[in-house]
Amino acid sequence: MWKYDKKLQYPVKIKNPNPKLAQAIMSQLGGPDGELGASMRYLNQRYSCPFGEITATLTDIGTEELAHMEMISAIVLQLTKNLTIDEIKKSGFDQYFVDHTTGIYPVSAAGVPYTMAYIESKGDLLTDLHEDLAAEQKARTTYDNILRMADDPDVRDVIKFLRQRELVHYQRFGEALRIAQEKLNAKNYYLFNPEFDVKQREETLKNKPKKF
Amino acid sequence: MSERKKLLKQIQECDFVLYETALFLDTHPSNRAALQNYRKHQLKRRDLVETFTKKFGMLEHDDFGGGISWSWVDSPWPWESEKEA
Repeated sequence: MWKYDKKLQYPVKIKNPNPKLAQAIMSQLGGPDGELGASMRYLNQRYSCPFGEITATLTDIGTEELAHMEMISAIVLQLTKNLTIDEIKKSGFDQYFVDHTTGIYPVSAAGVPYTMAYIESKGDLLTDLHEDLAAEQKARTTYDNILRMADDPDVRDVIKFLRQRELVHYQRFGEALRIAQEKLNAKNYYLFNPEFDVKQREETLKNKPKKF
Repeated sequence: MSERKKLLKQIQECDFVLYETALFLDTHPSNRAALQNYRKHQLKRRDLVETFTKKFGMLEHDDFGGGISWSWVDSPWPWESEKEA
């Protein structure tokens, strides 16, 4: 289960509205490499994960991504406060506005609604961890692109925080991959799938080295 | 900065250290320095949250300290901008 903590992970305080920028940043909520997808990826992958260190990592990073969803939503909300209809039409935000007003609905910058087709949960530890490492880099690239487009220091400060988190997650997933490879047959860790080939997995767990 | 914001910022900083340390411990579960760092900030957080909730209401349901009103429903919500909060 989860508990809600009534605060953001990092403060979002934006003074000036900017609907065009809001539409770009929205992609990190509902786009292909956004925080919603990140959260769903890790939280779904963890159930069949056989190693505690990696299950814990997936659970905790998946949970942090939920907090990042909330931060992106706060940015979009604050960037679209107190707009006139003229500002909405001129900025191009009218395409979002007509369906969602200034409510928060996860879509990509191009308006494509969020889909679980963006992510994978493959039921194979090594495959999933490689997907996770790539996902963190893709999110980092998207944040880089947002930083190329955003001038407002209030926005840049939060985006830089989120970008930095992608690097930390990449580091932790790298360690998770190393742990997985050490716990499996180190000479051939593609020998079997530890999430499916149960008998082999039990033998591996029996013979696992004590310290990592 | 108001007293509320100042205290909340201290809790956010403390929580960040706790979370970051927890994430490190996930892949280094017997790292002694990290375990000690977690414990230290855990105790610090307890004091900060106690001070905050007495003055400004709950951050989690479990912060309820008795009384005649459920402060969970009160603003500001985390995403509300400066002016409204």
